[in-house]
Amino acid sequence: MNFKLTWNIAVALLLAHLRQTIVAATGVTFSITMFIALLSFMGGLNKLLDGLVINRTPHIRLYNEIAAARHQPVDLTNAYRHSYNFVSSVKPQNKRLGIYNSRAIMKAIALDPRVQGLSPLITAQIFYNTGQVNITGLINGIDPNKENELFLFGDYIIAGKFIDLKNTPNSIILGKGIAKKMIVHLGDIIHVTPANGNQVPLKVVGIYQSGLEEIDNKQSYTSIATTQKLLNESNNYITDIQVKLKNISEAPKIAAYYRQVFNIDAMDIQTANSQFDTGSFIRSLISYTVGVTLLIVAGFGIYNILNMMIYEKLDSIAILKATGFSGKDVSRIFSTIALGIGIFGGLAGLILGFILSVIINHIPFNTTALPTIKTYPIDFNIGFYFIAGLFSFLTTYFAGYFPSKKASKVDPVIIIRGK
Amino acid sequence: MDSIILEALNISKTFYEPKAVKVLRDVNFSLHKGEFASIMGKSGCGKSTLLYILSTMDTDYEGDLRIDHISMKQKNEPELASVRNEKIGFVFQFHYLLNEFSVLQNVMLPGLRLGKYSAEETEHRAFEKLKVLGVETEAKKKPNQLSGGQKQRVAIARALINDPLIIMADEPTGNLDKKNTEIVFNIFNELITNYQQTILVVTHDSEFARKTQRIIEMEDGTIIN
Repeated sequence: MNFKLTWNIAVALLLAHLRQTIVAATGVTFSITMFIALLSFMGGLNKLLDGLVINRTPHIRLYNEIAAARHQPVDLTNAYRHSYNFVSSVKPQNKRLGIYNSRAIMKAIALDPRVQGLSPLITAQIFYNTGQVNITGLINGIDPNKENELFLFGDYIIAGKFIDLKNTPNSIILGKGIAKKMIVHLGDIIHVTPANGNQVPLKVVGIYQSGLEEIDNKQSYTSIATTQKLLNESNNYITDIQVKLKNISEAPKIAAYYRQVFNIDAMDIQTANSQFDTGSFIRSLISYTVGVTLLIVAGFGIYNILNMMIYEKLDSIAILKATGFSGKDVSRIFSTIALGIGIFGGLAGLILGFILSVIINHIPFNTTALPTIKTYPIDFNIGFYFIAGLFSFLTTYFAGYFPSKKASKVDPVIIIRGK
Repeated sequence: MDSIILEALNISKTFYEPKAVKVLRDVNFSLHKGEFASIMGKSGCGKSTLLYILSTMDTDYEGDLRIDHISMKQKNEPELASVRNEKIGFVFQFHYLLNEFSVLQNVMLPGLRLGKYSAEETEHRAFEKLKVLGVETEAKKKPNQLSGGQKQRVAIARALINDPLIIMADEPTGNLDKKNTEIVFNIFNELITNYQQTILVVTHDSEFARKTQRIIEMEDGTIIN
């Protein structure tokens, strides 16, 4: 039987039950709309949260860890080399925090083709001196340009400009919390004291907000040179090298390589933030589950309506069969009805889903943790639309399959004799 | 004679529910081209059962059925559907017109299923058939806007659309008044004389049967005359 005839009969039956058809199609439309909106929203949120960590965290961090020596002297003596040696009360090694030969290491890493960029860092404990009070804090010596390029430093500056850190000598960018505690504003001079005791005045050129209270209450930034001066260290003293890779998934492998080559501690992002992938995965899983559940419910709606239609149309099915339509033809007609509902409902759902996503994307969303985000995040991923389309096709096909099968099995003799 | 169109060979049928009852016993008869035959009998004598077997819709029987010299026993469901589509026209007591379609479309449906002619030609042919039955003015209406007699005439037009070898009618006048019964009979008669159509009617209306060329009388599942 040609498709046109099947289609015409299917359409005529659909139009005869217009209201039920619309209800069934609305079910599909609603579920597809929600599916798209939910996944896009969840996807946007995941991307945002992943971005938070991935953008702000180095993929690999090279540093010297304070730890006990791996090999105690007793292990190296000829007499006890092959014994199990138990040493109690082992203390950490007196290791300096600065990275040995940091310039050569940075040069070598910069030449590595797998590396997108690197940024040096000095971290040190300090006191902020304000009046009679000393507040403990943490100072980060950074290269402002590189920090901004690799870790979007500028996005988190809520007052002043990050580049002033470089342009103004002896300048500092304070965390929002500590600035508030010390009651200082842009342009004020504050005093800080590092562990070596020599107090240094610094000019406030910016206020920084990470969104994490803990950090904002302690942390501040200066340029590398200022920090080196502050700590009375030479101009090649740095404590950390932050590396950003082209491909983040290579981080553990490359970290292990650096650890071996440079004889230094290297921490990769996956090890440092292992809980993060899990969170994203679970969120996606939940949204897919909800979306698919909605679709299955819509599928039951279609199943119901087709069953009812077949029950009402037993006479029509009987006469179609009597006049030469085979069971397969009849089943094809009802499958077409189901797919018609699915395809039109689904298409409307895709469009409405897109519109709903756009609307969500325009709802204001201000949070102190994310100063650059002004509206709810949406991931406009074409893949979601493909998945939704495919699912609506499949559910309606299966919802139509059993009623169609039932229709094809209708025995015209029983129907006609019953009259 | 070579013009045998329908042949029933030792057809028997047993209903097993609720208990085994043999409703047809060794029914043998044949129908020639251009014959106007009626199957008569009391209610429950198996005449409708026989008609449904002859129509290929009921396949659960013993014996053999040949339509146009071809045995129907070996054919599967889609093949039988094609046979019905091409070679048999049906008229039932109830009209079974689809209210979703216009009168013309109802007549066209089996023609479109056959696909022998284009949609335009099928439409033209359907209109011609309606003309033969004198209901061409109702072509654009929906079946539920028609009177009972008109509906039955449209149903006959639908039976004729594929120029079937045989028209089978099950109590075609059972729901009609005397005047419409007359009309239907005259239409059948006209088809016999003008188009050499073969018609087999199952009826318990003896007046109607008496006017046909041949009466096949049934009792207790066998042909007695």
